[in-house]
Amino acid sequence: MDKRLPALLLISVFVVATCGLIYELIAGTLASYLLGDSVTQFSTIIGVYLFSMGIGSWLSKYFDKNILSWFIQIEILVGIIGGTSSTLLFLLFEHIASFRILLYGLVSLTGILVGLEIPLLMRILQDRFEFKDLVSKVFTFDYIGALLASLIFPLVLIPYLGLVKTSYLFGILNVAVALFVCVNFKREIPAAGYLRSASIISIFGLLVGFVYSETITSFSESMSYNDTIIYSKSTSYQRIILTKRGKVLRLFLNGNLQFSSDDEYRYHEALVHPGLTALPEAKNVLVMGGGDGLAVREILKYPQIQSITLVDLDAGMTSLFQKNNMLVELNKGSLLSPKVKVVNADAFTWVRNQQKKFDFIVIDFPDPSNYSVGKLYTNSFYSEIKGLLAENGIMVVQSTSPYVAPRSFWTVNKTLESVGFHTVPYHNYVPSFGEWGYIMAMQRQHYKKPVQFPAGLKFVSKESLDQMFYFPGDMTKVETEVNKLNNQVLVKYFEDEWGAVL
Amino acid sequence: MSGAQYSKKQDLLKNINRRGFLLRASLLSSGIFLQGCLRKLHPKSAYKDIKGEIKGPNAKAGHLLRDKSPIAPPSHSHSVETLIIGGGIAGLSAARWLKKNGYKQFELLEVEQEVGGNSRSGKNATSSFPLGAHYITTANLHDKELIEFLHEHKVISHFENNLPFYNPYFLVFDPEERLLINGQWQEGLVPDFGVPENDKKQIRSFLALVEELKKAKGTDGKYAFDVPLDNSSADSEFRQLDKISFQSYLKDKGYTSPYLLWYLEYCCKDDFGQKLQAVSAWAGLHYFAGRKGIAANAEENSVLTWPEGNGWLVERLASSVKEHIRGSSLAYEISETANGKMQVLVLDPETDKVSAVIADKVILTTPQYVTKRLLRQFERPNFHYDSLSYAPWVTATITVNGMGSTKGAGLSWDNVAYNTPSVGYVNANQQHLQTNENKKVLTYYLPLCDYQPQVSRLAAYSRSYEQWLDMIIPELEYMHPNITEMIEQMEVWLWGHGMISPTVDYIWGGNREAGSAPIGNKIFFAHSDLSGISIFEEAFHQGIKAAKQLLES
Repeated sequence: MDKRLPALLLISVFVVATCGLIYELIAGTLASYLLGDSVTQFSTIIGVYLFSMGIGSWLSKYFDKNILSWFIQIEILVGIIGGTSSTLLFLLFEHIASFRILLYGLVSLTGILVGLEIPLLMRILQDRFEFKDLVSKVFTFDYIGALLASLIFPLVLIPYLGLVKTSYLFGILNVAVALFVCVNFKREIPAAGYLRSASIISIFGLLVGFVYSETITSFSESMSYNDTIIYSKSTSYQRIILTKRGKVLRLFLNGNLQFSSDDEYRYHEALVHPGLTALPEAKNVLVMGGGDGLAVREILKYPQIQSITLVDLDAGMTSLFQKNNMLVELNKGSLLSPKVKVVNADAFTWVRNQQKKFDFIVIDFPDPSNYSVGKLYTNSFYSEIKGLLAENGIMVVQSTSPYVAPRSFWTVNKTLESVGFHTVPYHNYVPSFGEWGYIMAMQRQHYKKPVQFPAGLKFVSKESLDQMFYFPGDMTKVETEVNKLNNQVLVKYFEDEWGAVL
Repeated sequence: MSGAQYSKKQDLLKNINRRGFLLRASLLSSGIFLQGCLRKLHPKSAYKDIKGEIKGPNAKAGHLLRDKSPIAPPSHSHSVETLIIGGGIAGLSAARWLKKNGYKQFELLEVEQEVGGNSRSGKNATSSFPLGAHYITTANLHDKELIEFLHEHKVISHFENNLPFYNPYFLVFDPEERLLINGQWQEGLVPDFGVPENDKKQIRSFLALVEELKKAKGTDGKYAFDVPLDNSSADSEFRQLDKISFQSYLKDKGYTSPYLLWYLEYCCKDDFGQKLQAVSAWAGLHYFAGRKGIAANAEENSVLTWPEGNGWLVERLASSVKEHIRGSSLAYEISETANGKMQVLVLDPETDKVSAVIADKVILTTPQYVTKRLLRQFERPNFHYDSLSYAPWVTATITVNGMGSTKGAGLSWDNVAYNTPSVGYVNANQQHLQTNENKKVLTYYLPLCDYQPQVSRLAAYSRSYEQWLDMIIPELEYMHPNITEMIEQMEVWLWGHGMISPTVDYIWGGNREAGSAPIGNKIFFAHSDLSGISIFEEAFHQGIKAAKQLLES
């Protein structure tokens, strides 16, 4: 027995070392997924982790008696904490305020426990090897484990298992070491039976986590998204999913892409500036939908604007874009501006109960892909909101793609005209969406193409505007019906036209 | 229709019927009782999370009327020129008409706390909802009185090229109707998905036929089928259709397609609470040809509806006569006083207090099976109460927190499944403007037409709440797998005499006419059962007609 054991214990060193590094990598990856800025995240995570390991090593001197049993207990603990860490971090990410404390807390705890492992193991092995052999062997296995971990993590584990399953897997390996030590040294350990059952139960628990990890964290959607899901929440109205790949954030509502952070400026500049720049006197603005605050960000570039009312159904959405660091960075804190009043209400009902007039109105609803949203594109809705538009004001409506869905686009135009609006349709190219359409609507024809735009725009300019107002042959106007509550032709057009390409 | 021999034969028939009725009724109710006992062994089971109970029109009042239990003499009395008894659509419409014409000396008694009759509605945290009648269609252009009423309450906002422009919030929102057929939900209720070409041909042929009948006029220049139906042509070419059943008419015309016959039977169940063989051909065709309402902004015969169904119309009808309405007042006996006035005894079913109302004139807008009890002391020459047939109905108000996903067309206002006992459910949330509502209130309609009405009615009254769930939920599950766990609440409404059925020879056989004749210029009658078709428009005109008779008398 004695001949075989040292070798097996050295394999434990190897496993323990691999696990330790994996936890560190998981924490680093998670932090950069969730908080962005991978250099800072990795660097601070590694720092905190190594420092905690130092604390662990220092603490190891206080363990005197029953080192074996302490080692087993620590292994079980590392397995449980390390194994569930990514699940915990994903689940608790929604409580954004305390997230960093939690992240670094978990990293420190894992670090301290991992820091305890090697010194304790060395002391267990000290009677079985000569000191120079011991140091050489333990550290050799430790570093080999580290190499292995750093290679399989990005190449095998993340692509095939994902973060959550990887942590559970290594949690199980960690506890398996505990179980193995427990079984082989049972004569030297007081209460070996108790420790053995504890490890078996822990392994079983982690196994359940491994199998059900997707259900537990309800990140099963990650299968259908190319990028890593860093936030997912079901509000009473919709499922909000935020994904990240590299520096690019994408927001999905009920599985439909709302924006991609690398080209959303093209959409939001086109939505706001052609209209608002033509209104130097504008003071009061209404934004319907657009709970991401990105249209509001563009509107705040006009210092003469005194108030912006943002009406979005979902408080879960607007508060996410008020609180989450990455998203607040993206919308430049627009929803926190004192000029902005956020109203969480149902658009149609809200509009019917409003009397106030607005100089500029942005309608940024989801596409008319179902009868519920379709109501917000009807002549009834437009005639209600017409009453809120100032005599010289402009309203702009996101109107789906005039290239993919020309009948849908021109139906919105026709419906706006049917309630007495004068309209100015235009379009631009947004890589994430394709060729996209917008329609300006006003009480009478008073639109003059602006020449001066706010500084710092990346897309809209006098020259691009000429392009935007021009509809080439493949997007020319088609005759359609008016979209009404009692016919909802738009939903049918939209289904047909997008159904053909998707 | 009179004559000694005929009466005798009728009596004989009645006896046979009666014996058969007793046999069937006892078999059926003992079956239900036994099943109920078995049910108790597995209490609630799968439905344990569903809250609700059986509700219905004031049963205590109904029984008081029928059983004529001894009631105390009136504690006080007061006089009024005109008394309207009954606060359904006919009663409210009569009251509105009187008021509109400057006549204010009247009172309206309603047995329930709320007026509205079959058009009453309810409300819960999710939505208002209809309990019975739930829509009208765009009015016939020549129906000036109805158009005026709709204009008065902005259902019609204005006129464009002389066509009414309907308020778009009241026209049913799209998608309007869907049918579960051959495993899939199709748009619209006329069977189409998976229907063989030959059947489609018959369906097209029938629809073309009724399109012709819609325009057809009799020798007197009147429409063959019109609303109110009393305005229809007297031409015997059309009226004789009342003497045969819709079923034999269709057979004679060579319509055999099961899909077409199902659709027509669905329509008869929906509007008359009866099957093809039990309604007259004239009535069956009237369903399709009577309504021809065109509009400036909607298709012909578009549906007008509200979350609360026709409860919305009740509210509008009642709005001008609120101060004349007395709820919780059961009129249970009418007699003539020595000086020729009408004495009406009225009981408050809540407090059991009795009072008397002395009126010069009475408009009776109660259904005839109630009127029969009220008018024990009066003759209605040639009017046979017992030949009127009422269809019993069950409606269920179902609150769901989801519906699951279905194949084909999505949730519509009216949702029907092919070849099922019910006529489907309507979605009260359809006319909501909110874009995102998970919870819905569905009103499910089940006409009890498998047996004679009396048998079905008796059976219905003996069923427990759980037994109704046993009948309703499997059908819902068939339409929406796994919906049971999404049902939060289900209130079952029992309408023992849900609506009049236009049985063979009822509409033009003379009985209706006899029943509509006022008694001595003192008692006037209005109810959709005197039209033979239980729709808002008929009751509305019944009320106006009685009010006019009274004002002219």
